[in-house]
Amino acid sequence: MNGGGGRPGDRDPSQPRGPSEGWTILSYMIGGMALYGFVGWLAARWTGWTVLFPIGMLFGLASAIALIIFRVTRS
Amino acid sequence: MSDVSVMTTASGCHIFSGCGYPAPSIEDFYFKPIFTVGGIAITKPVVLAVLAGAIILIFFYVAFRKPKIVPRGTQNLGELGVLFVRDQILRQQLGRKGDGYLPFIVAIFFFVWIMNVFSLIPLIQFPATSKIAFPAGLALVVWVTYITIGIKVKGPIGYFKRMAVPEGAPWWILPLLSPVELFSNILVRPFTLSIRLFANMLSGHLLLLVFGLASWYLFSLSIGLLFSVTSFLLTIILTGLEVLITALQAFIFATLTAFYIADAMETSH
Repeated sequence: MNGGGGRPGDRDPSQPRGPSEGWTILSYMIGGMALYGFVGWLAARWTGWTVLFPIGMLFGLASAIALIIFRVTRS
Repeated sequence: MSDVSVMTTASGCHIFSGCGYPAPSIEDFYFKPIFTVGGIAITKPVVLAVLAGAIILIFFYVAFRKPKIVPRGTQNLGELGVLFVRDQILRQQLGRKGDGYLPFIVAIFFFVWIMNVFSLIPLIQFPATSKIAFPAGLALVVWVTYITIGIKVKGPIGYFKRMAVPEGAPWWILPLLSPVELFSNILVRPFTLSIRLFANMLSGHLLLLVFGLASWYLFSLSIGLLFSVTSFLLTIILTGLEVLITALQAFIFATLTAFYIADAMETSH
């Protein structure tokens, strides 16, 4: 992952990346909710079936969590 | 100092004197232009941002003007700052191959930090970063940088694929997850980067205003004195907290910048 691992000052690849990993997770959550929430909102306006908006948001949240799980359990 | 606080202190507005608590509001973050240059109004935050840039330029110029093997004085301090950013921020994310980005990360870290610290300096007492324009502008610079690096390292198609295809996900779920990955990598990142810094500095400044104004407003020879003292103590404690937050927010901003660059450079996990 980084060139000459093990030298002083380098990141230990076995360690988590600290705050940035957490912020990535947050950005997935926001991204998933915002994107599928928007799709749900559009669908709700189009069909007049307002329940599609929260369903879209929940679906976005679920897909964000799925993404995080795939990301964490890879390798 | 903002208009509200000037008004309060000037009018001698206290509790039980018939005037209400002059609560600070978002109005305190809007300033009258000091002067206008070609139709562009120059306000206090603009002056502060330019001042922050000037402080960093002059400091690092003085520090490394005549570098010596055994650093003394300003050079010592400058090296301390640069080495802190290199070892605690840059190499944590990028390793040694990222040393070329050291000037960029150092500039980002110190610029944000100085703009935050203005929140605590007497007579200035305003964090330039609590105006969304500055964090947003910085986030835009970071955004353009990491996308350019990504396209340079992997080519436009390779980089786009890297941004859109999440690692470790089975192929049949990709149509559902790719939009989220792409959306979070391209749009949410710069958005959260700027909002986080902006909101933290805005709320911190607002908290200090609330308790600073309250300790003046509640000051009278009555039961209000007790609350005034409490507010004053809280102002001191919150100032201490703000010292931490100014550094922490600059640290997080620089760390995430380094992380986004590292993410754009990585060829595979």
